[in-house]
Amino acid sequence: MKQFSRSGRMTDVDVGMEVDVAIKADEPRRVAKLLQRFGQENELSSKMLGRFELALDEVLTNVITHAFPDDAVEPSIRVALHLNDSRLKVRIVDNGPPFDPLQDAPAPDLSLSAEDRPVGGLGIHLARAFVHTLEYERVEGCNCLTLVQPLETQP
Amino acid sequence: MTMNVTTKYAGSTAVVAVNGRIDSANAKDFDQKLSEVIDRGGSRLVIDCGDLTYISSAGLRAILLAIKRTNAAGGGMAMCRTPDHIREVLEVSGFTRLIQVYETVEDAEAGFSG
Repeated sequence: MKQFSRSGRMTDVDVGMEVDVAIKADEPRRVAKLLQRFGQENELSSKMLGRFELALDEVLTNVITHAFPDDAVEPSIRVALHLNDSRLKVRIVDNGPPFDPLQDAPAPDLSLSAEDRPVGGLGIHLARAFVHTLEYERVEGCNCLTLVQPLETQP
Repeated sequence: MTMNVTTKYAGSTAVVAVNGRIDSANAKDFDQKLSEVIDRGGSRLVIDCGDLTYISSAGLRAILLAIKRTNAAGGGMAMCRTPDHIREVLEVSGFTRLIQVYETVEDAEAGFSG
């Protein structure tokens, strides 16, 4: 495995992996483990990996829970991890009906008391906070969520 | 199962030590455990996070429900020994406004008697 340069020198890291995900509650945990192993093999910082793991867990849990409201299609969810010299990127692609979890996720009112705080609605808020870029597109009949984290240039 | 919960009762306070990971796959078990403790009279609840490695919004949901329940029962809830990365999740979620976070179990227990 090629080493990362932390000095900003160009190296040529370009690695990726893809995994199919089932509609099961413990799948985000399996993918989180794969992400951790992938990140550790490529010497990403544990702090960055931990934050990215939470963002990915939240988004993928959301897809598994909401992307297939009926039996109209045979569900397919595919997660692709990709790392190069400048950033870690994960794409989650599913063949469910159009569903943009980012649009339907108003920022929670964090000033409310415990009694008034609604239960839930924090997942996308956390994902947005813990990854640099989080985007949705509808591409060729599929929902596509992309998480991107630039790599730190300082150790 | 990647989460273990150990409960100790000290007077009117219950200390729930959580070990491992709380995510969408096991948050319901955690919620159920907290409910059992509160139903047994532990309306003063301390969650010891010293060995908690990971929490997602599903786990926060269980914690918010427990805060609501303990408040309604005239008690309250606190957390302690929270690792930095867990503390960050609590802060981003606004939970540090809802629940006191202490350094030690003893500090958390003492917080109730004040």
